[in-house]
Amino acid sequence: MAPKFQIKVFQLSRFVKNFTIISVVTLSFLLVFFSKTDYYLISGIKNLSSSVIIPITRFISAPVNVFSNFIDEYKQFRSLKFENKILQEEIIRLKKWQTLAIQNSRENKVLKKLLNATDNNLILVKTASLINRNDTIYSKLINLNAGYEDNIKINMSAINERGLIGKVIDTTSNNSRLILLTDPNLSISVKSISDGIFSLLSGSGDGKYLVSSFVKENKMPRLGDIVVTSGTAQIFPVDLLVGKVAKVEKNRFFVLPFVDFKNIDYVQIVTSK
Amino acid sequence: MEFSKFFNSTIKLNIILIISFSISVNSFILLPNINNSFYVLFHLTYIYIIFYHYHYYLYIVALIFGILFDILLLNNIGAHIITFLSLLMLFVLLRKYLIRLSSFQIIVIYFITLVVLFFIEQFLANLIHNYKFNMSSIYNLTLIALIIFIPSVFLLIKLDK
Repeated sequence: MAPKFQIKVFQLSRFVKNFTIISVVTLSFLLVFFSKTDYYLISGIKNLSSSVIIPITRFISAPVNVFSNFIDEYKQFRSLKFENKILQEEIIRLKKWQTLAIQNSRENKVLKKLLNATDNNLILVKTASLINRNDTIYSKLINLNAGYEDNIKINMSAINERGLIGKVIDTTSNNSRLILLTDPNLSISVKSISDGIFSLLSGSGDGKYLVSSFVKENKMPRLGDIVVTSGTAQIFPVDLLVGKVAKVEKNRFFVLPFVDFKNIDYVQIVTSK
Repeated sequence: MEFSKFFNSTIKLNIILIISFSISVNSFILLPNINNSFYVLFHLTYIYIIFYHYHYYLYIVALIFGILFDILLLNNIGAHIITFLSLLMLFVLLRKYLIRLSSFQIIVIYFITLVVLFFIEQFLANLIHNYKFNMSSIYNLTLIALIIFIPSVFLLIKLDK
């Protein structure tokens, strides 16, 4: 009886082993295939990863986060005196600007009434805060605490007080994922304010500058020109601030984004009217 | 003592996998190389487990971590899952040759496998999902791998007894 039993157990374990391997390999290829065809299952897995896995990973990596915050506070503490001096000078400078801005605002209101112009072309969908970021390895992605239940849809634009941050590439019920402007895989159509030169920008590998991948009629903008969204691709609303031309080469130019991508806490999801 | 008995080396290595995965998918602005280092450590530990603790449950581990890495870092499933499963299958095919190698040869193959994994992941991300091939990222990961390779292997061997 004993040898027969042993053979049975061996056969069963071998069957389980082969079955597991074959099913895992088949499942993985199916997942890769469905990922390309945007199947319901994939959005379910993404939903699960946003709502369950991200909180778990945040909990596990909390000690590193505490350490990172401690370094940040230490650095801030060291530069307090220097920052205070700069801020005092900034206050004096801003007071002068404030007076000028009030005058310009009044003038602007009067001119708008004369032209019968509308204020802007944006609808604010939701203001969301950042949950976590995955922008070190591979893509430059961030996760927000608002999803399709808050009317956020794929391809909506994300901005903050400084300008364009990126666009929504994925939404779940309570979370959404943004791809940042600095990602090399995202292209945006822009124009320069002074010359109206149209071009396409995408992130450079360093994550600091945006680099032109196409310039209409090969006309290069001037150094220091402000670049805004052109609205021609129908993804980003027109005239959102993007950045400033920082470097011009023979066939391409570099733009320094206005948004400080290292300090994003809140973002506004907007869409065109 | 009882506590250490409970945690056998396979459990310890799997805990390292979970911790290194969690840290590598959460970016820390002030410590960007921490993410890269733990990303390298994850791959190091994964190869170590395959080399010294091969079991068919690793196919499920590869499936889970492959999907999670792909979704959290690339937002598309493909590059990591295929790389992890391919490595496992390649190991099964080459196991009889690897057993004959000396410890130095194994260490060299271990490091080469690690760098090749980063390269294949980038290549597959480019091939399947059209992600731009980022050579500077591979250089960065290879440099970190060079720095942490010996201490990490030492740590893994210590944990493994």
